[in-house]
Amino acid sequence: MRANVYLPKLAKVISVKEEVGGVRSIKTFRTQFLDVGFTHKCGQCAMLSIFGKGESMISISSSPLIKDYLQFSILKMGRVTSAIHDLEVGSIIGIRGPYGNAFPIESWKGRNILFAGGGIGLAPIWSVLQTALLLKKDYGDLTLIYGARTSPDIVFKEELADLKSKMTVHLSIDVAEPEWKEFVGFVAQNILDKKPSPENTIAITCGPPIMIKTCIKALSEIGFKDEQIYTTVENKMKCGIGKCGRCNIGRHYVCKDGPVYSWAELRQLPQEY
Amino acid sequence: MVKHEDVRAEAKKLLESGKVKYIIAYELGSDGWKANPVFIKKPEDVDKIIWGPTCVHNLVRFLVDEKRRKALQKNPDTRPVGVMVKGCDSRAIVILLQEKFINRKDVHIIGVSCETTGVIDERKLAKKLKGWIAKTIEFGSDENFLITTDSGAVTLPASEIMADRCLECIANFPIVFDVLLGEKTKRTVCHPFGSVEKIETLTSADRWKFWSEQLEKCVRCYGCRSVCPMCYCDECVADTITFAVSPDTTAEEKAQKIKWLDKSPVISENIFYHMVRAIHLAGRCIDCGECERACPVNIPLRMLNKKLEKEAKLLFGYDVGFDPEKPALISCFRDEDPEDFIR
Amino acid sequence: MDKILAKKDFSRWLEALGAYDVYAPRLIDDVWNYELAADPKAVSLDYPQTAIPAKKIVFPQREFLFEFREADTGGYELKELLPEGKPAVIFGVRPCEGKAVILTDLVFGGEIRDDYYWKRRNSAVLVGLACATPPTTNCFCLSVNGSPHSKEGLDALMTELGDQYYVEAITGKGNKLISEGGAIFHEAKPADKKAAEKVHADSEKKLARELKNIKDVPAKLKGMFASPFWDDESMSCIRCGICTYLCPTCHCFDINDEVESQTPLAGRRVRTWDTCQFPDFTMHSSGHNPRPDKAARLRQRINHKFQYFVEVWQNYQCTGCGRCITLCPVGIDIIKVVEKVRDHAS
Repeated sequence: MRANVYLPKLAKVISVKEEVGGVRSIKTFRTQFLDVGFTHKCGQCAMLSIFGKGESMISISSSPLIKDYLQFSILKMGRVTSAIHDLEVGSIIGIRGPYGNAFPIESWKGRNILFAGGGIGLAPIWSVLQTALLLKKDYGDLTLIYGARTSPDIVFKEELADLKSKMTVHLSIDVAEPEWKEFVGFVAQNILDKKPSPENTIAITCGPPIMIKTCIKALSEIGFKDEQIYTTVENKMKCGIGKCGRCNIGRHYVCKDGPVYSWAELRQLPQEY
Repeated sequence: MVKHEDVRAEAKKLLESGKVKYIIAYELGSDGWKANPVFIKKPEDVDKIIWGPTCVHNLVRFLVDEKRRKALQKNPDTRPVGVMVKGCDSRAIVILLQEKFINRKDVHIIGVSCETTGVIDERKLAKKLKGWIAKTIEFGSDENFLITTDSGAVTLPASEIMADRCLECIANFPIVFDVLLGEKTKRTVCHPFGSVEKIETLTSADRWKFWSEQLEKCVRCYGCRSVCPMCYCDECVADTITFAVSPDTTAEEKAQKIKWLDKSPVISENIFYHMVRAIHLAGRCIDCGECERACPVNIPLRMLNKKLEKEAKLLFGYDVGFDPEKPALISCFRDEDPEDFIR
Repeated sequence: MDKILAKKDFSRWLEALGAYDVYAPRLIDDVWNYELAADPKAVSLDYPQTAIPAKKIVFPQREFLFEFREADTGGYELKELLPEGKPAVIFGVRPCEGKAVILTDLVFGGEIRDDYYWKRRNSAVLVGLACATPPTTNCFCLSVNGSPHSKEGLDALMTELGDQYYVEAITGKGNKLISEGGAIFHEAKPADKKAAEKVHADSEKKLARELKNIKDVPAKLKGMFASPFWDDESMSCIRCGICTYLCPTCHCFDINDEVESQTPLAGRRVRTWDTCQFPDFTMHSSGHNPRPDKAARLRQRINHKFQYFVEVWQNYQCTGCGRCITLCPVGIDIIKVVEKVRDHAS
C-alpha cells in the first residue's frame, strides 16, 4: 500500500554530536528508523518532524552506502531547529523523504571532484564526499576547499583531520587567529589562491547564498565551465513534494526539481533564492 | 463643488514646482467608473486624477509604504509626498502625527470636501441598480448622487447608497491640510455611533452569537489589516514569523517568539485576531471604513472599532484623531478617569 | 442522452440526493458562497459569482493531515486523518471554476499524489452552470482558453432555457447524479439542444472584457524579471491575500502543528491556505527573504500564472473569473498588468 506522503516515518536519534557551540550552534545527529525506512541518493533531503513544533528540510549528509543510519547536521536557526537541538539520544522524531534530485555522481566517475564549502554548507555535499572516498577507485583526485568564519565554526573537525590523509584539504577562516596556520580569507579567495585545475573536474559548492555566488564566480574565473559547477540550493519549504508552492523558483520547485543544480541550469532560473 | 480640474490644477502646480516627490491621488479604474489609488509623479500625468463619490479609499495608507521605502534608501529624497484626503482620511494623518510615525513636513495634504453626501458604498449601489451597470457617478447638489447607467440616468437619494461610515460621520471636512479644495458642508443624514447602538440593544448572548457567526466567515486574508493606515507595525501579533530579524538575532529569540495565532481560520483564532486588532486600534481608528470595504466576505468590521471609539469618548472624554498635538489615547490619562474597576 | 429539468423540479432533484453532501450557492450578508444546502427548496441558481470559488470543496482552507500523540513508551502514535470521502455534489459551478479544478488536479496529481485532495476530488461531483450572461463585469474566460459554457472539469452542465434547465451529463459521475433524479428529468428534444447551443454561442459574445494576443506574454515575462515595471505596478498593493485566496487556481498552502495538549504532547498537523503575497511566505528563518518586496511578489503572481505554469503545463494558470480584479481593495487589475507586459518595449 502506497504510503501517505505527508505522514512521517518514526525514527530514533542514536547519536548527537556538537560540532560548533555557542550562538551559531551546529549539531550532527544520526537517526535510525523504528520500522522500514528509506534509502537515498547523494544530495537528497528529508523533512525532519518535531511533533508540536513543525518540520525542517535538511540535507542527508551520510553516504547512501551506509545503511545503518541517516546523518543530518543542523544549524540552530529558529523555532524548529532549536527544538531539534534539544533532542537527546533516544528521542523519537519523524522523518519523511527522500526528497529532491541527486548529484549525478554516476556520470562523474573517472573525473576529479572539487568540493568548495563554507560553514554548514559542507553538510549537504558531505554525502558525495564520503561516497567518493568509499568508491575511491571510481573517481579521480578529490580536493576539499572549506572555510568557516572562525576556527570554532568549522564543522566535522575530527573528520577533516582524518581526511587530510586521504585527499587534498585546504581550510580557511575569515579572520586571522593566533594558532591558525592555513589560509585566512573567504573560500572564494582560497579557490583563487589554490587554483585547482578545471581539467576533467567537477566542482560542487555549497554554503550561505553569498558564498555560493562568490565561489561560482571564482571557479568560473579559473576556467570551470557552467556545466562543471554544481551547487545545492536552499529555500523555505513546507510540503517537500512540489505542491505547496513555497520553494517555487521559475518553473521549478526546489524540493522536487532541485535542490541540486549545475550552474548552467541554475542561471536559467530567476535568481530568486 | 470640487471638480476634477480643481484637483488637477493643484496637483500640476505642486509637481511643476518640484515641491512634492509625487502625489497619491485617485484615478478612474479599469471598469471606467470607480476610483482607484494612483501615484502621479509627473505634471503631464495629472489628467488621470479624478474626484467623485467613488473616491472611497483612505490614501493615507500609502504614507506608511513611503516611510518604509525611505528607510531602505541610502540618500532618500526628503521632499514631502502629496496626498488627497477627505475629512475622515485627514484624521488618520492626525493619528500618525500624534504617534510621531510621520513628520508634518513629510506630507503635503490636499484636503478635499466630500460635499453633503460623503462617498458611496459600492455594494449598496449594486443592490439599488439591480443589475444595471453604473457608468458615471457624481455628487448631486441636493443630498443625492447623479448616476448614469447603461439604461439611462438616475438620481438616487444619498442616504440610500452612502457609505455606512458617512452616515455616522463626525468630521466631514479635512482637519489638517496644506491646501483645501471645496466648501465645508453640513452632513444632514448623520447619526454618530448609530451602528453600534443597534448592537448594544442585544443581550450579551445574542451579541456573542452575532459576532461568532460573522467571524466564522473570516478567511484571514488580512485585507482589513493590510488596508488600515494605523496597522503599520513591522511585526504584528498575528504574524508567526519574526520579521524584525537581524544577523544578530539568536535562534533562541526566534524560537521564543510566541505564536499567538494558528493560521487556521477557525472561530477561536478569528475572534482572537479581530478582538486584538480592535483593541490595538482603540483611540486610533478614525472609521475610514476601509477594513469593512476590503473584506471579501462582508464582515461588519467597522462596528468593533466604532464601539471602542465610543468608549474612548464616554470613558475618557477622548476625541479620536482631531488634534495632532494631543497624546495618543493610551499614552495619557486624566485625574478624573474612571477607577471603578479598581477595588 | 441530454435531459430537461423544469426549474420548479430542481429542488426535487436535490431531495433525491440524500446520500450526498449537497453544496449550492447561498447569499449570506450580500455575499454568495457555496454552502451546504440545508433547505433544497431555498436553493436558487440565479446568482452571479461566489466570493470563494468551488476549489474550497476539494481543497478546503483548513484540512487535518494527521494526529500525533506522545506514547507512554516515549515515542509517538501517528494517526492519519484522511477525509471520509463522503460523496459531495456542488451545484452552480461556473465553467471557469471547473477548468480551474483541472489545473489544480495537475498540481496535486502527478508522480506523487496528494491523497487528501484526491479523496475529496474523486468523491465530488461538479455540476456546472453555463453563463448565459457574464456573472461579473470582469469576466474574461475566453481570453485564457476557457469559455462560458466549457465542460472542462465538470461532471454535468446545466444551461438555463427559460423556466427549464438543459442538463448534459459529461462524465459517469454526472450520469449517475442525473439518474438519481429519475423521472423528474425528461428527454431533451432536438429543439432544446438547439436552444442550448444558441445560449452557449450567444454567451461568447457577451463577455465585457478581453485579454488579447497573449501568446508571447510568457516569453516577454522572462525578459522582464529585473524590470522596474514591477515597482510601478505594485505601488498600490497593500500585500493582503485577497487576490490569491479567492483565486480558483491558486493552491499554495502552509503546514503547521496545532498542539492541543502539552502533557502528553498531542495535536494535529494541519494544512491551511497560504499566499505568495504575504511577506513571510518565502522568508527563511535566517531573515533572508528571496522576495522581500511587493514588486517581487506581484511579479511572482503574474509570472507563475502566465509564464511558469505555462512552461510546465502548457496552460495559463488563470481561468478569467475576474475575482482578483473585483475584490482587490486597491483595484490592481491583472488584465491591465498583463496587457502592459504584452505591450512593454523589450
